[in-house]
Amino acid sequence: MTLREKIESNRFVVCGEITPPQSCDGNVLRDKLKYFKDYVDAVNITDNQRAIVHLSSIASAKILLDEGVEPIMQMTCRDRNRLAIQSDLLGAAALGVKNLLCLTGDHQISGDQPEAKGVFDLDSVQLVAAAAGMNSGFLLSGFEMKKKPEFFIGAAANPFAEPFEMRLINLFKKIEAGARFIQTQPVFDLKPFCRWIEKAADMGLHKKTAIIAGIMPVHSIKVLKWMKEKVPGMKINEEYICRIGEAHDPKEEGIKIALELISAVKNLKGVRGIHLMPVMWESVTPVIIKESKIKEFNNMG
Amino acid sequence: MIEDLVTLDKPAISAKERRISRLLLFFEDIVKVPLFRCKHCGECLLSTTAFICTQNCPKRMRNGPCGGTRENGNCEVFPERKCVWYKIYYRSRFFNRMSMLYKIKKIHNWNLEGTSAWLNVFRKRIEPPVWLVHKDKEKIKELITHDA
Repeated sequence: MTLREKIESNRFVVCGEITPPQSCDGNVLRDKLKYFKDYVDAVNITDNQRAIVHLSSIASAKILLDEGVEPIMQMTCRDRNRLAIQSDLLGAAALGVKNLLCLTGDHQISGDQPEAKGVFDLDSVQLVAAAAGMNSGFLLSGFEMKKKPEFFIGAAANPFAEPFEMRLINLFKKIEAGARFIQTQPVFDLKPFCRWIEKAADMGLHKKTAIIAGIMPVHSIKVLKWMKEKVPGMKINEEYICRIGEAHDPKEEGIKIALELISAVKNLKGVRGIHLMPVMWESVTPVIIKESKIKEFNNMG
Repeated sequence: MIEDLVTLDKPAISAKERRISRLLLFFEDIVKVPLFRCKHCGECLLSTTAFICTQNCPKRMRNGPCGGTRENGNCEVFPERKCVWYKIYYRSRFFNRMSMLYKIKKIHNWNLEGTSAWLNVFRKRIEPPVWLVHKDKEKIKELITHDA
């Protein structure tokens, strides 16, 4: 069963995330895959995350397909203009990639080559709309293609950044443009997330799209502090920082926090899946999947 | 569907028109540069964004903020500046122009870069500005529920 079929038949889905290596070694990906295969429904492949050069997301997605894991290919607007985006999307479709996550992309200033030219020809809403247009058979030029790519289009949402209501407007626009699933930033603060999902449900958005909540297991206080300082638009509850900082075994505490967040988030109205982002700590995925028993869970709300 | 997304370059810009455009841009700049820090995108969105220019955003986001707005509403790229969309949101709310934010903006036509937006409105390449917004709340409700 593909991710699309699972979401369309209202099943609770679990996604993983892999960052491709900063080299041409595809075996790194294959090694990491053993932590995801048979545990998650699909795996996100980041596209030059934080504006640092990585193995391309299309090539990585192809490696995942060959290994029998369903990829969710991320596509950002920072590196490509509209011509490159469309041709890359067509190339990905030809290789058999179906799931697409449309992002604007981090600004190049946050990466290791801040001198680079950021393209930003499209923004994420327009990218979603362009991909939806390709699904209906048309390129942005108006040219009608003989074969339609059949993408399952997703977009990202940040429930934590300011201003709160503008986030909902942005979410509404992305769904209006054709996003069928929404992945959120990692949840480290339940209060704003609950408020956001409640408001989204009030607008009726949870019926038009599948909202997948991001969960990020952290293994040390360093990562958490780095995220609080360096990743803008994140809200991290002080309680978690204290708990990991004071814990005897920060790794175990990190798993415990992730499990707590999952059990709180999964029952919320409108949440249709969990998106695990174990950055630099892939081996934790099977542990969390097994202990949270998320596979057997089904949120009917 | 594609027409809703891309600004078509029709009628095509002739050399003569470019010359006229440059002249008009001189007068347009006198108004728009000091008031809005206009970046001459030629496809003015000011009336839909409560008269704050979106092109001052480092990512030139035309449809809404990126996910990087800081807790105090500052930009992720330039921490000393306010996020453009943060300002747009609060000013739209103040002027009751929120319904304008719900519409998806077209992909920018780079051929219009450096041309006069006033001329482009006259030549019907881009939509005319909306000066007054009536019944803002009702419009939003209509937009949200139209296909639910």
